[in-house]
Amino acid sequence: MNEGMSVIDVTGLTKHYGEVRAVRGIDFTVEEGEVFGFLGPNGAGKTTTIRTMLGLLNPTAGRATVLGADSTDEPAMIEAKRSIGYLPANPAFDDGATGREILDLHGSIKGEQRREELLELFEPPLDREVRDYSSGNRQKLGVVQAFMHDPELVIMDEPTSGLDPLMQQRFNEFVRAEREQGVTVFFSSHVLSEVRRVCDRVAILRDGELVTTEAIESLLDRSGKFVRARIAGHVESDAFNGDTVHGFERTLIEDRAEELLAATDFESDADVVTEVRFTYTGDINDLVTDLASYSFVDLDVEEAPLEEVFMRFYGPGEPSERTARGQNGDAAPAGGDGNA
Amino acid sequence: MLELARYEARRRLRGTVYLTVALTLLAGMYIATFPSLATDVDLDQFIDQMPEVFRELFNIATMNTIEGFLSAELYSIGWVLLLGLYVAYSAATLIASDIDRERMDILLSLPMSRARVLGEKFLALLVPIVVVNAVLPLVIYVGTIVIGYPIDPVNLAVVHLLAIPYLLACGGIGLVLSVVTSRSTIAQRGALVAIFGLFLFESLTVIADYEQLGAIAPMRYFDATAVLVDGSYDWAGGAILLGGTVLLVGASMLYFRRRDID
Repeated sequence: MNEGMSVIDVTGLTKHYGEVRAVRGIDFTVEEGEVFGFLGPNGAGKTTTIRTMLGLLNPTAGRATVLGADSTDEPAMIEAKRSIGYLPANPAFDDGATGREILDLHGSIKGEQRREELLELFEPPLDREVRDYSSGNRQKLGVVQAFMHDPELVIMDEPTSGLDPLMQQRFNEFVRAEREQGVTVFFSSHVLSEVRRVCDRVAILRDGELVTTEAIESLLDRSGKFVRARIAGHVESDAFNGDTVHGFERTLIEDRAEELLAATDFESDADVVTEVRFTYTGDINDLVTDLASYSFVDLDVEEAPLEEVFMRFYGPGEPSERTARGQNGDAAPAGGDGNA
Repeated sequence: MLELARYEARRRLRGTVYLTVALTLLAGMYIATFPSLATDVDLDQFIDQMPEVFRELFNIATMNTIEGFLSAELYSIGWVLLLGLYVAYSAATLIASDIDRERMDILLSLPMSRARVLGEKFLALLVPIVVVNAVLPLVIYVGTIVIGYPIDPVNLAVVHLLAIPYLLACGGIGLVLSVVTSRSTIAQRGALVAIFGLFLFESLTVIADYEQLGAIAPMRYFDATAVLVDGSYDWAGGAILLGGTVLLVGASMLYFRRRDID
């Protein structure tokens, strides 16, 4: 790779499937040593972009280079692939082969300098046939094969989707350590909390178009917190308002109030519990001050779902659908991320 | 080099053992029934009453000798049709099923060309083809000695040698179907229809006096009856089959190189 050239350079990339325009004129670059998040709801075109970058799909227009190799130039791509690791969205292997046989094959073709070290971190059952693997084990085998040849660039499509929370955490630590070693990491996700933990910059894709590319901090500053509180007593409908409160909803719970209150330790003679839900985009300290005047039965403060962030900052795509998905938690942070 | 071919070859070993055992049983069954047929019935009288289409389909010259009997029964059905179907079906899964089951993404992340991936996968088909054609002549030779109707070992070896390019050509047909579709079930069914269709077509063109049309069918160039009954070896036919295989594999490589994996 030439000095000063971006590790990934995507220019005007467009991919149509017949009438369907999956990706439309995308531009972005990824620099050496960056952890770059490629964020967007399911169906936004993330996988199409990644598979075009890797030469699995031919671009309809525009171009993509990885480690200086044009994705449509096969000899250049073969050379580049010696230094690229790839983990697809649903890593699939020959059912009848064992994990060991698959790693042996990959090792014999692309190298396996880091195989043993990776197998200590992620432990797929090597002597079992892949047909008996859980999706988590398949994902672990995928991670090992993606990093085993000590690549300069690793491209991953929804890498933590099949992993349990503990393994997700181990994976995040692993990616951070890789960045320290100078590895460039590009990965896609539909979960904001996942990319915020490890990424330097993110690109946001929606309906096949790039909405923005920015540093993760500035995105997080604007994304806000989703607050859901059950408060002892009656709360007025204008109790939380102002520019920093969005989508305020209030429900009075009267029939089960006694039961709910009994489940807490503090004394209260309230005969009603008020549930409030809103997204908060102001200073988190102001939020704590505002909340301090209430007595709580329950309080959740978590990262706003990606869909809500999109809707608020980049305008509604198809409003009804997006609201519904935001509400029923389809795109909400996966469990375990409820950081107050 | 050939790391993928070796991996694929190892994965074909178990299936190859099953296939060899099944064909050994089939051959043994035919060989074991021959003595009683040869003494009790004049099969050629029976053949004369058959419609021409059957004689042409199964390449029947005579059934009163072990050579004619095996050609008509074991080779025309077991090799030309069943093994041809097996190899074409296997080849049809080579690319399409990896795309269909989303395995191709990781396979193509390896630093090797698509042409090489395809070539090495195809090469691994030689495992069942070669093993079957190395083991079965021994089985058949010993079997015919046991029943007291020994077959000429040189002719037998030549039949199995010429079967290899024939089966490779069937594989080439399956391979083409495997790269033009991403649905393995379509490729597999297409391969079965193609081989069975060509098998019928080749015989019908002979009967209908449009013999030159049947020249596109690989069955035209592999004639076990001619080798075993007449001792005439069609080396040119073998060369045509190999040439056809090269063309089919080359065309598959060209197409596979350019296509979207979706």
